[in-house]
Amino acid sequence: MVLVLAIGDLHIPHRAPDLPAKFKSMLVPGKIQHILCTGNLCIKEVHDYLKSLCPDLHITRGEYDEDVRYPENKTLTIGQFKLGLCHGHQIIPWGDLDSLAMLQRQLDVDILVTGHTHQFKAYKHEGGVVINPGSATGAYSSITYDVNPSFVLMDIDGLRVVVYVYELIDGEVKVDKIDFKKTATTQSTH
Amino acid sequence: MVGKKKGVPEWLNSPLWSSNPPNDRIFSSYDTGTLSPDPPPSPPPPPPKEPSPSRPGLDGAHRSEIRAPARESSQSWSWPEDESLEAQLLVDFQITLSKRIINLGELRRLACQGIPQSLRPTVWKLLLGYLPLDQTMWAHELGKKHNQYKTFKDEFLLYPSEITSRMEASEGSKYEELNCLQRLGLLSRSEIKNGEHPLSLAKTSVWNQYFQEKEILEQIERDVNRTHPEIEFFSGGSSFARANQEALRHILVIFAKLNPGIKYVQGMNEVLALVFYVFRNDPDETDAACAEADTFFCFSELLSVFRENFCKQLDNTVVGIRSTIAKLSQLLKRHDEELWRHLEVTTKVNPQFYAFRWITLLLTREFNFTDCLRIWDTLLSDPEGPHETLLRICCAMLIRVRRRLLAGDFISNLKLLQNFPTTNINHILHVANKLRGPTVD
Repeated sequence: MVLVLAIGDLHIPHRAPDLPAKFKSMLVPGKIQHILCTGNLCIKEVHDYLKSLCPDLHITRGEYDEDVRYPENKTLTIGQFKLGLCHGHQIIPWGDLDSLAMLQRQLDVDILVTGHTHQFKAYKHEGGVVINPGSATGAYSSITYDVNPSFVLMDIDGLRVVVYVYELIDGEVKVDKIDFKKTATTQSTH
Repeated sequence: MVGKKKGVPEWLNSPLWSSNPPNDRIFSSYDTGTLSPDPPPSPPPPPPKEPSPSRPGLDGAHRSEIRAPARESSQSWSWPEDESLEAQLLVDFQITLSKRIINLGELRRLACQGIPQSLRPTVWKLLLGYLPLDQTMWAHELGKKHNQYKTFKDEFLLYPSEITSRMEASEGSKYEELNCLQRLGLLSRSEIKNGEHPLSLAKTSVWNQYFQEKEILEQIERDVNRTHPEIEFFSGGSSFARANQEALRHILVIFAKLNPGIKYVQGMNEVLALVFYVFRNDPDETDAACAEADTFFCFSELLSVFRENFCKQLDNTVVGIRSTIAKLSQLLKRHDEELWRHLEVTTKVNPQFYAFRWITLLLTREFNFTDCLRIWDTLLSDPEGPHETLLRICCAMLIRVRRRLLAGDFISNLKLLQNFPTTNINHILHVANKLRGPTVD
């Protein structure tokens, strides 16, 4: 039972001062084993905050990140799943499923986590899943101002993943979940 | 003080004492089952010979304690009478256990002399009140208890994700298969039930409770892994050893969840390990297979007797561990004032330094396994009750090494008492027996 937090696009301090208080009260250290951060934090203080939640932190570079040393992509294996991480501004058209699928095949992962659009999405295609945790602060994006703060928590347990989606809608935290399973044998279809 | 032996004091503090031929004159004067109170004003004189090192596998009768190792090696031979006494004891036990309704008083009397290895699990279960005295009820009772344990396991040993999935399975929900041929599609979202999500801060949330108990679970895990590293049974690395550790872990977790008042305290694992060892090595195969369930209930029973030792809030009260240690002190003062004065006043060895471990762990860390089993036989069966008996045995332990204590200072005494030397366990029990008497408060 491994808890993985997928979060990103905070744009602190440029577009938002901080995470919403209700999110902050829920994110306490000791519960989460890994953090996948899509990028655009943007400053070191946010990095330190995330590091305090969980020592195993993975970040990829967003176009506004002040630390230029973050990689463009990252892959890691957690349990039976291979996860990939990328900010998403490199994938054109932004948020397009086919292009994201190309990246997924390229990285050869089961679950791809990207951001940049600031909208939560979870797609399934060809044996892979693409998850966009949205923006945790609700910062405006290049596309729209109408953004609900959101992040994602994945509970990886053997071959099954339960994805909990946390969204702040009208000041209240709303939690949904998505359940999916991987078939045992194949990792990739090509 | 009888100090006429030619032993040289410079190895007084050595834990290994060589042995001399036995001198029976002190011990031939007692008889089986000396339970009549006979409190001497001073302790029985220490024997002029050195005590023989305790022999593993010695389960014999009270009388047959003097083995005579010719050398310091572990080779030893027994008096021919002692073996027949052992056999006699076995027969006595078998007679008592064969009755349909077992006489508890008779059983206790016999158990005080030491229980034969093969009968130990059964007798302990009877003494702890786990098995009813009516033999015909045994199967029924055992069945009931085993089922109860199974429900406990189902209820308490699951991860939160398993619990929530179980809740949903009963309500019917579906998975999205990753591998289906549909190429494109948004994954469907569903509402969570009862506000159950991993970051929930609600008191009733399964997840929240899991994280709060996580610390205790980790503590239990750590302690189980380092229980008795010297014994194959627990730390062998074999799958048998791992299964045993798993069983210990399960029992401790379930106990902690069922008893939120004391939860888990370090040291419980030692007490549990001994009980589990005895039950798991039951010569009867079917009994050994359900050792986990039996151990759980007997362990709970044992802890309910000794509950006060583990409950932090009771530390400073009349029933807490501090007052128990004070009682031990008083007992020592009553029986051997010279030693008491030397220990507490002159060398300032506070009894808390050594007696705490003796009392809370019921002496499991002070003696080797076999000796512990013998001590527990007496502890569980003595009519005066386990608390009193434990204190008497601790007092006897102190008196047993009084010569070395009287000759030592703070450091050497502390070292001696915290690593109690291997001694003849029957001798200590004999001394403890002699300490019976009206208790002072």
